Parts: sequence; structure tokens; C-alpha cells
Amino acid sequence: MIVGMLLLCGLTASAQAPPAAPQAAPAAAPATPPAQATPATAPGAVSAPVMDAPLDVKAAAPPSTDELAKGDPSGTKTGTVSDVVAADSKKGLTLADVVNQAGQNRIAINFVWTLITGFLVMFMQAGFAVVETGLTRAKNANHTMMMNFMVYGFGLFAFWVCGFAIQMGGGAPYSTLGGINGLNSEYTISLFGKNFGLWGTHGFFMTHGGAYDVGAMVMFLFQMVFMDTALTIVTGTCAERWKYIAFAVSSVFMGAITYPLFANWAWGGGWLANLGNNFGLGHGYADFAGSGVVHSVGGLTALALGMMIGPRIGKYTRRGKPNAIPGHDITWVLTGCFILAFGWFGFNPGSTLAASGNGALRISSIAVNTMLAGCTGSFGAILYMWIRYGKPDASMSGNGLLAGLVAITAPSGFVNTVGAAIIGLVAGVLVCLSVEFFDRVIKVDDPVGAISVHGTNGLWGVISVGLFADGTSNYGGSWNGVNGSVTGLFYGDPSQLVAQLIGVGTLVGFVFSLSYIAGWVIDIFIGHRVPAKDELEGLDIPEMGALCYPEFVLKPEPEQMMATAGD
Amino acid sequence: MRIVGILLALAGWLLPVVALSMTQSLGARFAVCVVGIMISLVGILVVLNGAHQQNAIWKKG
Repeated sequence: MIVGMLLLCGLTASAQAPPAAPQAAPAAAPATPPAQATPATAPGAVSAPVMDAPLDVKAAAPPSTDELAKGDPSGTKTGTVSDVVAADSKKGLTLADVVNQAGQNRIAINFVWTLITGFLVMFMQAGFAVVETGLTRAKNANHTMMMNFMVYGFGLFAFWVCGFAIQMGGGAPYSTLGGINGLNSEYTISLFGKNFGLWGTHGFFMTHGGAYDVGAMVMFLFQMVFMDTALTIVTGTCAERWKYIAFAVSSVFMGAITYPLFANWAWGGGWLANLGNNFGLGHGYADFAGSGVVHSVGGLTALALGMMIGPRIGKYTRRGKPNAIPGHDITWVLTGCFILAFGWFGFNPGSTLAASGNGALRISSIAVNTMLAGCTGSFGAILYMWIRYGKPDASMSGNGLLAGLVAITAPSGFVNTVGAAIIGLVAGVLVCLSVEFFDRVIKVDDPVGAISVHGTNGLWGVISVGLFADGTSNYGGSWNGVNGSVTGLFYGDPSQLVAQLIGVGTLVGFVFSLSYIAGWVIDIFIGHRVPAKDELEGLDIPEMGALCYPEFVLKPEPEQMMATAGD
Repeated sequence: MRIVGILLALAGWLLPVVALSMTQSLGARFAVCVVGIMISLVGILVVLNGAHQQNAIWKKG
């Protein structure tokens, strides 16, 4: 024990043999000065330390038990050499112990960072719940809230059963979280002489194929809350007319298949991530935190189901003119937007999956990019609405904030602050144009604007990586296995934009189609839409059995909203 | 028409993927990507949505 409290300063102890291989590789490297790597026989060389020899660490002078008993109000006595664990207490502290501790500290920092940011993302479910409930009518508040509440459980269950395995089961090693080397089995096909990774095959039920692993659990939690964000986007578009059972089945399918499949292609070592390696397209499809993987998948699935389920009764007149159906609580809407903006600090900076090593200190830049894009997004939307309609619309200001955040999600790790501000500003205007387009031209009823916020701006975010990535990021020296930094068209690499466009094409062509076909099958066997009588009455009693606001007297619908007639 | 719309959407996706092996030219790949996305969007927003709008609830009165 006494020997175990030795100090680091006298490392030159006895050192003749070549250094043993460090057990915690990357983090251990800086602990060994370059001179010590020189062969011991070279004239004038400094001897390499022996990894398992006891260290002379007396100069560290750890505080005595008596000193510690007095407390440590200044914080200078807590966390000393006394806290470095010796593997063999009889032998005492060795260099191997120190480098192993350094490695574990790095991974521990990354674990804690990833878990805490994952917890922040989980809280975004509350933000989505109140935004969507506030934007719908009071007669459907219980139903809307319950969809947002249970989508968490439905999604989590599906992801645990198979979603995680499909998404991440073949992408190891995940170096920032200790490797997670059990998740190393990807189903691939050979096309054009190249391997196309399609889905992972390890990690079902988080026990199969080495998934019962501390690093895998961190990865599961973080990826699960991302997946649930995508699922909850759909509930907004289909609100006020979606059968609860159809919602449940759709959510399970999306959490088990649709989302994990595309996420594997982008993040789990699948074919999109390897467009750089296989076809020389930049660094392959690059989506830092999921504008495409999370938001576009959610937004395009929302479009597929919104198209299929049809508009709410009263949304359009018989001539196809849209009626405004205001939500019942703008306070909820804007409060929810703030909760989401707060959660986004987990979403984007957390996507480094690290706060130590591999260029992870860029988390500060990512966080600033995130807040800037949200800010300029709300600017863009409020200016557009103010100029066009003469008033600074509250719900569109909120949607502008979210649109900016959605758009910066993919590029947040690759762009500078000017790029982030431009991306957010464009997103803020784009969300207003997109809402009008879907409302008036396409006539897909979207009570909360989720298709525009997440679908349209998710795609914009994916494209913006190919434009604004400035080539300064360095996450371990490579991205998707291609050396160097992700660089967009404006900074000299047009091939990255092509990789991003292939991602956009896959989202629009494949993800939409898969979501539509799945929704169609569910429509045939279950039916998505509630009966008209229930819709007019409000879904709280017919679907949920209880009113959200039982003590309130709800205002009757205007006549034209009851009959769909209008003009 | 719904099936046609879905087939168009899928075709628009497969086009740039297949084109990866047919040309090394960045400009050509870029152009094929844009064309593919446009085909998918037409399939979804025009053909598929058109099929749904034919029987839209607001037309039934």
C-alpha cells in the first residue's frame, strides 16, 4: 500500500529492456517521450522505462490521512497519486498502472460525456411532446401527449430487440468508447466490385455477439435516444386523426427497421459511409449528428404517412383552400422549443462520442455552431413572416429555431461559425416556404410543420455539409476511414457534395418508399385514420378514454370546420 | 398510380447508385444525382400525391 502511493516524478528508475506494449494504446502514447523510443543500445540514448518496475514517486508527497481528515475545501488534496490504482499492491505503482489509468480516464471521460449528452437528448422527448400538444387542439391534447409519451417506450423496445444490432452491429471498432469490438459483423453484398454494407448482425437484445459490454451500453443509450427523436417527428404530422394502435405499430416498425437501416448506412459502417473509400467521393456520406439520419428519416416518414392518412376534417375547403387550425397553447409551443434547443446541446456536441482525444475538444465549436444556427434560424423565420404577413408569428419563430437546429445537426462538427449562421438563416426562411408549399400546393396537412422543419431542413443540412465544411476538423485524423478533414465545395472539395447528394437521394428515394410501403401495409390491416365522428368529437375520449382538460368547456368548432364545405 | 409513384421514387434513388460504377467524372455523377433526386420528387409529390388527392377527404363534402 505504501509502495502504491509513490510518485510519478522519478520515472527514470531502472530501464534497460525495450518498453512493453502499452495496454491502453492511444492514450498511453503521449506518456512516452519520443527519446525513450530510441533503442537502448544507441550511443547517448535515454533508456526506455520498464513498464512493470515500481516507480519512485516519493516527490509527489500525497496528503497524509491526518491532512485528509481535516477536509479539502480548496480541492488541492483530492485526486493525487494516492488515487492511481496499482494492479499489484505488493509491487507498488508501475508505469503500466499509470498508462492504464490514463487510458481508462480517457474512456471514462468519453463515457460520462456521451451518457450525459444522451440524457439531454432523452429530455428532448418532453420538448417534442409539449410543442406538438400546444400546436394541436385542446380536444386532442391527451391523445397527442400520449403518442409522444409512449413513442419512447415503443421505440426503445424495438431498438433493443433488433434496431441497435441492425444499426451498429457491424461498425466496430468505435475507438472513443473503448472499441466495442464485439459489434463487428456487417452483412455486405458485392456490387461493381465493391462491398456494400447493408446491416449489422451483432447486438440483438444487447447480449448477442459481444454486445454485453460497457462501451456497447453507452453506445446503445446514445443511439436509442436519437432514434426516438426520429420517431416522435411523425406523431406531429399525423396528430389529431391517427389511430393509436396504428401509431404504435408504425413506431415499432420504424424503430426496428427503417431508422436503423439508414443509420447503419451512414453511421454503422454501411455503404454510404464508404462512398469515400470505395468511389473517391470525399469522406463518404458525412452526417455529424443526424440531419439526415434522424431528422430527414423522421420528416420523410411523416410525409409518407401524412400523405396516406389525409388532412384533418376542415383543413381544406371543398375547393382546396386551406383553413388555419390554430393550436391551443402557444405557451407550450415556445416552452417546448426552448427545451428542444437545450437538448440539442446533447444532440450535436455529444455526437463526438468523446470529450477527450481524437479532436474531441471541438465540442466547444460544435456547441457554439448549434446555438448560432438556432438563433439565425429564428431570425430568418420571424423576418420572413413579419415582412410577408405583417406580424412576427410565434409558432413560425419557434419552427425557425428548430429548423436552424435541424439544419446545423449534420454540419455542426465540420463548419465554422459563419457557415453555421448562414445555414441557420437559410433554414429559417426555408421552413416558412416549405410550410406554405406543403399546405397550399401539395395539400398534405401537417399540424406542427414537422415535414418542413425536419424533412426539408434535414435535407438542407445534409447538403450544407458538402458546401460549408471547412476542412479544419480532425477527429482522430480521418473520417469514415478517409484521411484528412471533411471539406465542402466552398473550401475546395466538390466530391464531398456528390456524396451528400447520394445521401439525399437515398433518403428521398429509399427511406420515403420503405416508410410508405410499411404504412400502406398497416393501413390495409389496421387502418391509420380514426372515424370521422371521433375526429370531430376529439380523440381524447374515443381513443384514450379521458379528456386532457376535463374541467374546461371547449369552444365548438366553426361550422365550416365541421363540414369541410367552406367556400 | 400509387405503385407508379413508389417505383419512380425508387428509380430516382437507384440511378445515382448505379451511376457510381458507370462514370468516374465528378460532373457526371453530380448531374445524375440531381436528376435522380428530381425523379424521386416527381414520383412522390406529383404522381403519388396526385393519387391521394384524387380521393381527398375535402373533395367528398
